[in-house]
Amino acid sequence: MNVLIVEDERSLSHEIEIYLTKQSFNCDVAFTGKTAADKIHTNSYDFILLDLGLPDMDGLELLKDAKKSNSEASFIVITARGEVEDKITGLDLGADDYISKPFALAELQSRMQAILRRKHGLKNNTMSIHDFVMDIQNRTVIANGQSINLTKKEFDLLHYLGLHKNRVLTRMQLTEHIWGDVLEDDYDSNYIDVHVKNLRKKLAAHGSIDWFETVRGIGYRVNA
Amino acid sequence: MRLQIKFAIYNALSKALIIAAFGAALPIVVEKVVYNHIDKRLIARSERVLKIIQRGGINDIIAEQDCSFESYSILKEEFVAIRPILSTEKTPPVQIIKNEEWVIEGENMNHRIIRKPFIYDNQLYELNIGEGLSTIDQLKSTISKFSLYMMLGVVLLSIFIDLGFVRILLRPFNRIVTGKLQPTISPTSFNFTPVPSSTYEFNQLDHSINEMMQKIRDAFLIEKEFISNVSHELQTPISILQNRLENIILDEKVPEEVTFKLIESQKTLSRMSKIIKALLLISKIENDQYLKNESVKIVELLDEVLEEIEDRLQQRNIQLVKQFYDDLQYEPCNRTLMFTFFFNIINNAIKYNKEGGSIIVTTQKTETNFVVEIKDTGIGIEESQIKNIFDRFKRLNQSSAEGYGLGLPIVKTIAAFHHIEIKVESQLNEGTVFKLIF
Repeated sequence: MNVLIVEDERSLSHEIEIYLTKQSFNCDVAFTGKTAADKIHTNSYDFILLDLGLPDMDGLELLKDAKKSNSEASFIVITARGEVEDKITGLDLGADDYISKPFALAELQSRMQAILRRKHGLKNNTMSIHDFVMDIQNRTVIANGQSINLTKKEFDLLHYLGLHKNRVLTRMQLTEHIWGDVLEDDYDSNYIDVHVKNLRKKLAAHGSIDWFETVRGIGYRVNA
Repeated sequence: MRLQIKFAIYNALSKALIIAAFGAALPIVVEKVVYNHIDKRLIARSERVLKIIQRGGINDIIAEQDCSFESYSILKEEFVAIRPILSTEKTPPVQIIKNEEWVIEGENMNHRIIRKPFIYDNQLYELNIGEGLSTIDQLKSTISKFSLYMMLGVVLLSIFIDLGFVRILLRPFNRIVTGKLQPTISPTSFNFTPVPSSTYEFNQLDHSINEMMQKIRDAFLIEKEFISNVSHELQTPISILQNRLENIILDEKVPEEVTFKLIESQKTLSRMSKIIKALLLISKIENDQYLKNESVKIVELLDEVLEEIEDRLQQRNIQLVKQFYDDLQYEPCNRTLMFTFFFNIINNAIKYNKEGGSIIVTTQKTETNFVVEIKDTGIGIEESQIKNIFDRFKRLNQSSAEGYGLGLPIVKTIAAFHHIEIKVESQLNEGTVFKLIF
């Protein structure tokens, strides 16, 4: 998977690159709109992560051009402005998703995987975690032929942990994934624990959940 | 009251006053003039009578000496009377003119009378010549009536003319007020086209308003840009730090104690980012950067919020009671903001509740409004502190619940944006009621 990171903040670009490289993506970076445009013309990418606030070019213009020359690529627009109009225009111009700064890298990766899933149709549409099979399309979990009734948040939680299996996800990463848009007034809330507790109870009724690990002081991990 | 009407009333009243004064003075003047004429006539007549007496003797007129004589016209409007004065009578021997009741054939009539003493044949006589005043009274009343009608007519006419004139005169002023100032919700939507006028003051006013608005608009745009820039400039470094921490935490070589500290640092960063987002949200609402063009069913939205917040209720073991008696299709509004509005209030009710407490959410139509009431059995707020709860960064209760102190300021801003009235009643250690009046 080839990824082009178009971001004028070198440090940020670098962190994204480190993370995605670890997740076996081939990363290329561009710090200006002009280099980005050149790279998009000459190479072919699966993903283009595009910061709208470029110093030399309007990000939305670049998006329009890039869509023509790299029509196979998936675009994720990154912005710090958080303007609704930007979001709508970006999506109108053919961006596949939109993410506002600051975001968790784990969240970025899950968005990329969601796009992949959509693009490749039904093939990758289930996820197995030991005895449990998640149907992503229909948002159901089946164990031993029995369907388990999960709430939306419980399903998202399990899915997110499954996507990042064998890695600890912190409570904050999980919280931001589940409540992304809700502007929270608490900074030390562990409501995520309530959902994990409920989720575990439901899953445990259908099989062993030894794989669902609590990492003390940090968060949770799904081992596979 | 409109300026135009005030002008018209003032003009009408001032005219009425002038005419009333004129109307009151007129009968007196008329009386003076008429009396003057009558008096001259009476004096002339009395002199003629005296001449006749001197020429022809009094006996032609009075049959016998010491007898009285009286003659009057058919309508008793005029009379001449001569009578001898007895020496015992004390009459001043001078001529006087005055109004007096004169009895003619048993009928009392008001007359203007000249009384003139004269001596004839060593006998003192008194000559009385009178003229009836009934016509004069009539004249006076006619003039009064005329002036009253005149006054009414002039006042009405002047109100009519003044309204029209003042309207034309004030047209540029009205254009400034109703065309420019009233429809302006935000300085960016202000209409800068000058209002043409031949009145110096209006031109000056229009010019000054335009100039001031221009300044406000510039400041407003600068602020808007500043907020956008600040949020951009701050969110980017936060983003870098957050992602860097994330990458370090992922590194398995990092010892556990360090990981804990990194996670704490991540929380601090997230707190910073959320404060920025909250401030940005408040200023964006205050700057009218949100659209207000959606429609929501209040009960549906409340249900959505309560579902979202269910885990918090569960965690603190708080019982929720829904009493949805009525619903309201609320429009125009901004759905996202309305969601945040209810979310923050109910979240507050959970945060400042007691473990195992309860929350009652009621929706009800009253005669004039739609009211949503959110009542908790929490720790309550001191009476004197209620007014402060909507202030930014004010945390009144240093309880276990922590927050940025921006939840209720956001609520207040959204309420102002939608013109929702909020009433807070609270009893320390008993609980708090938020009344939201739509």
